[in-house]
Amino acid sequence: MSEEVKVDKEHSHVQHVEPYTPQFGTMIPSSGQKFMRTCVIWQIIRFIAINIKMTTLILKSHH
Amino acid sequence: MAKIVILGAGVAGHTAASFAAKWLGNEHEVIVVSPNSKWNWIPSNIWVGVGEMSKEEVTFDLAPVYAKTKANFKQAKALSINPEGSESNNSPFVTVEYTGQGKEGTTEDVAYDYLINATGPKLNFGATPGLGEGTNLGEHTVSVCTADHAIHASHELDKCIEKMKAGERQKFLIGTGHGMCTCQGAAFEYIFNIEHKLQERGVRDMADMTWISNESFLGDFGMGGLHFKMGGFVTSSKVFAESLYAERGMDWIIGAHVNKVESGMVTYETLDGAIDTQDFDFAMLIPPFAGVGMKAYSKDGSDITDTVFAPNGMMKVDADYSKATYADWEPSDWPKTLQSPAYKNIFAAGIAFAPPHPISKPMKSPNGTPITPTPPRTGMPSAMMGKAVISSIRDMINGAPEPTHTSCMAEMGAACVASAGKGMLSGTAAAMTVFPIVPDFKKYPGTGRDINGTTGEIGLAAHWVKHLLHHAFIWKAKLKPGWTLIPE
Repeated sequence: MSEEVKVDKEHSHVQHVEPYTPQFGTMIPSSGQKFMRTCVIWQIIRFIAINIKMTTLILKSHH
Repeated sequence: MAKIVILGAGVAGHTAASFAAKWLGNEHEVIVVSPNSKWNWIPSNIWVGVGEMSKEEVTFDLAPVYAKTKANFKQAKALSINPEGSESNNSPFVTVEYTGQGKEGTTEDVAYDYLINATGPKLNFGATPGLGEGTNLGEHTVSVCTADHAIHASHELDKCIEKMKAGERQKFLIGTGHGMCTCQGAAFEYIFNIEHKLQERGVRDMADMTWISNESFLGDFGMGGLHFKMGGFVTSSKVFAESLYAERGMDWIIGAHVNKVESGMVTYETLDGAIDTQDFDFAMLIPPFAGVGMKAYSKDGSDITDTVFAPNGMMKVDADYSKATYADWEPSDWPKTLQSPAYKNIFAAGIAFAPPHPISKPMKSPNGTPITPTPPRTGMPSAMMGKAVISSIRDMINGAPEPTHTSCMAEMGAACVASAGKGMLSGTAAAMTVFPIVPDFKKYPGTGRDINGTTGEIGLAAHWVKHLLHHAFIWKAKLKPGWTLIPE
């Protein structure tokens, strides 16, 4: 009987990806990247940045 | 006194109507014709479709809003245009048929000096056998195209969740229901919101989720994809999108034309000519769009629909419709003023105008089946077109000989926030900006777009932005104090 392998925590969110499937051939986020996506302090900064980018785009688009 | 008639009260039509009432309402007559009694913030239908919002949160009655202004609201659908009048009537007019206000079924000729066609699309469920009949959704699939459709979808999703809780695996199939669909973004949002919901309800491991789309690659979005800076590289939206699907454990079928929907199964053809099937327990497939089917008649009553409208029912404007092949396409093919070339007092805005050609490269299967996303022109571009068109009409009423404002998809950008799950601390969305919408490979070689103006990122902040936009645009559409300060 084979011993159960503990999943490395860095890979737990992508353990469903199978080798040689289309999913295996693309970029997948690291656990750090995943964390930052919902890190409130970082996301407050990104919220301001996204609003600036979108406002700039809108101003550039009106003729 | 000039009469301005606006057909449609969606994003483009309502924007035009709001500014028309503000700028022209005191001295001129503004008439808004819409078959719907309610305005719908369609981007939030996604959240209705997963039970996270109610219909009341995404819709409101139009009549009280127009009653606040000097606009005259007719709940009716437009049947035909007589741009030269008729033998008994010298003024141009639109024939409408009431759908509400106690006059259902009665027709009326509404005279105009300026006409804005902003009817939006006909949801052409009937284009795919089994997807529906005409404009009506069929029995095998669900839809999030309207708030009522989204409520139905939410109920069907709840049934699937109950089955999964009882130990029954469920197959989800989300995407486009025809080879010529647009609006992949709505389906993209829906599949990720379902996945988020299933995670929250603790049944994700009981679901097999598959994306099916007419895009030739994931992340095409009907715009031929886009590129933006990420991690020191200029990265394709293909990588960006594939990464999200891979991370969330979803399979994908691309370059697919769904040619038949049956109970629990679709049949589809792919760009390599293969015919295959996919089973499902729950499917949401976006229908293709068409024009609403208005006719046009000359003064003597002869049919001039071909002069005013393209074969797909969208209105011809100042675009170059002569470019047949991808190699010949230029950004300058895209319309600027949105004025009808045949009748200078008619304009079209939003989905109602006929694009000169797709943005994505046209593709066909070896069997000759066209499988190409059609250009997106909802949301921000629609609102900008609505404002530009009514600005030109205002100036023409005041003496300008030609339209004074332009709104060209080859010169404007678009901001898009695609929800990937709702939650004030757990939600995420993809925030994307693209400039310009139609790529210009001469000005921006290699990617076709300004890589400083084209951006993309995923996170909670983008979800907050989407939530903010929901409230801001409903506030604006209700013409509440300060509405003009909220940009289109």
